[in-house]
Amino acid sequence: MKRFSAGQFFKGMNLTVFTLVMVFLYIPILILIIFSFNDAKIITGWKGFTLQYYVLLFQNKTILEAFRNTMLIACLSTLISTIFGVLTAMGMENKKFSGSKFVSALIYIPLVIPDILMGVSLALLFNFTKVNTGLFTVLIAHITFCISYTVIVIRSRLDGFDYSLVEAAMDLGAKPGTIFWKIKMPLIMPGIIAAGLLAFTLSIDDFIITFFTSGRGFDTLPIYVEGAIRRGTITTINSLSTIMIGLTLLLVVATKRIRKIVISSL
Amino acid sequence: MKNKPSLNPNYALQVASERRKNLTSWVLTAPALLWLIFFFLVPYLIVIIYSFLTADIYDVKFEFTLEAYRQSWTPAYLHTFYLSFRLALLTTFLSLLLGFPVAYYIARAKDKVKNTLLIFIIIPFWTNLIIRIFSWRIFLAYNGVLNNLLLDLGLINNPLEIMRTDLAVILVMVYVYLPYMILPLYSVLEKMDWTLLNAAMDLGANEVKSFFHITLPLVKEGIFAGGLLVFIPALGSYLIPQLVGNQKSLYLGQVITYKVKNIPRNWPMASALSLTLLFIVALFLIVIYAFYNRNKARRHQ
Repeated sequence: MKRFSAGQFFKGMNLTVFTLVMVFLYIPILILIIFSFNDAKIITGWKGFTLQYYVLLFQNKTILEAFRNTMLIACLSTLISTIFGVLTAMGMENKKFSGSKFVSALIYIPLVIPDILMGVSLALLFNFTKVNTGLFTVLIAHITFCISYTVIVIRSRLDGFDYSLVEAAMDLGAKPGTIFWKIKMPLIMPGIIAAGLLAFTLSIDDFIITFFTSGRGFDTLPIYVEGAIRRGTITTINSLSTIMIGLTLLLVVATKRIRKIVISSL
Repeated sequence: MKNKPSLNPNYALQVASERRKNLTSWVLTAPALLWLIFFFLVPYLIVIIYSFLTADIYDVKFEFTLEAYRQSWTPAYLHTFYLSFRLALLTTFLSLLLGFPVAYYIARAKDKVKNTLLIFIIIPFWTNLIIRIFSWRIFLAYNGVLNNLLLDLGLINNPLEIMRTDLAVILVMVYVYLPYMILPLYSVLEKMDWTLLNAAMDLGANEVKSFFHITLPLVKEGIFAGGLLVFIPALGSYLIPQLVGNQKSLYLGQVITYKVKNIPRNWPMASALSLTLLFIVALFLIVIYAFYNRNKARRHQ
């Protein structure tokens, strides 16, 4: 029997495209990292190695404050949206749940709507209700867009749940509380961590929805970076970006298992 | 003989237990449900209301008008819609063109290598968006890395003007959205039954034929999922055209943002344009959904 080999031509083409895409994906990132050590005020040519922009970075109060805001918002929205996610996913486990279609629709629709629309609509809500924009409104916005993702990741984990374990525990006389904390929780924990990590990354990354809901005087890192690029004060952005890329790398590499769950539920 | 359901005590117990379970489900889903009603659905109601109001310098006047919709249909705004639509389509098409071979290559790689290759796709995907856009500015700038390199190699005599062009916009759009195409394509290709291809070859099909008759139909769902994940956000993108594009071709996301952020504000116009975008997205989703269901039904026959 002749084995399908994908053909020399296809194989060669796929490898070529793959290599090109890899170069495409990494060139700008590598340049950014290299130039963060470049001793030049503007980005032209190599002027020698320096760490001064890293030093400047840690002396810049605005950046440190933006960093603090970013982390605070990310931690709080991760915590709250993950709790919502766990509760909702468990509520939707029930196959005969009468509201399951409505809840599903409400969870999935935000995922397929451009971010800018959520930004505009929330900006209007806060304008209409005359709420002062700032930390509080950004937090609300971030929780809103994180919920859909946490529910979906945790749900996909519950889908593959082995209920015979729960039945076995019940046969052995375990109480519902014990079953929840001792059996269900540990088994869906990787899903919960994956969901939390996704929410955290989404929150740190978000520009547009934050831009619409933050108002003046409240910067997160992406908002600060965009402003700095617009004003042309970009000397520390390279080093800031390099540190953030480093953190991403650490996160991606350190969490192999969680990464798998996130990919499989996408 | 069967008991009448109502007379069967087990049945009554079962009904009671199901009712209790249903109530528990409502209670558990209530927090997220209420949150999304207040902060996702209600805001859209306000968008609808605002789209019929009159713009003031900073705010709105509560006077009913259709002015915003009338303006949306003038050539200037229609051109914006056209540009955004073209950009989103082009981005989707190019992402598919580049993403398919990549997904295919990873899916057919050895299990051990597969994971490493996937990490390489995911690292840029998880890197902050604004940083990635910023790095392209360094790369493409008039006195940037690419131009310096090409000048040094003697390939060009004068620096190329790539930054602040439509070419830069499409390049960075594909760069940012490519992983959204690769990952769903990979997940269908990964699950694909490759023995079908062997069977096709045994029956005398060549590679091109088996690609179009076997691989393509099997990965259609992945293509549609990827297309959705690229096309819809691309349609409303703001940051990329803003940071690497020029002010001559304004895209929908930029126009909407300017209406909200620049003085004089025009909330009604931003609302009307947002609703039009929402309408286009909804239409698009309905078509995809119908197609998806038909595909599913056909497979179950």
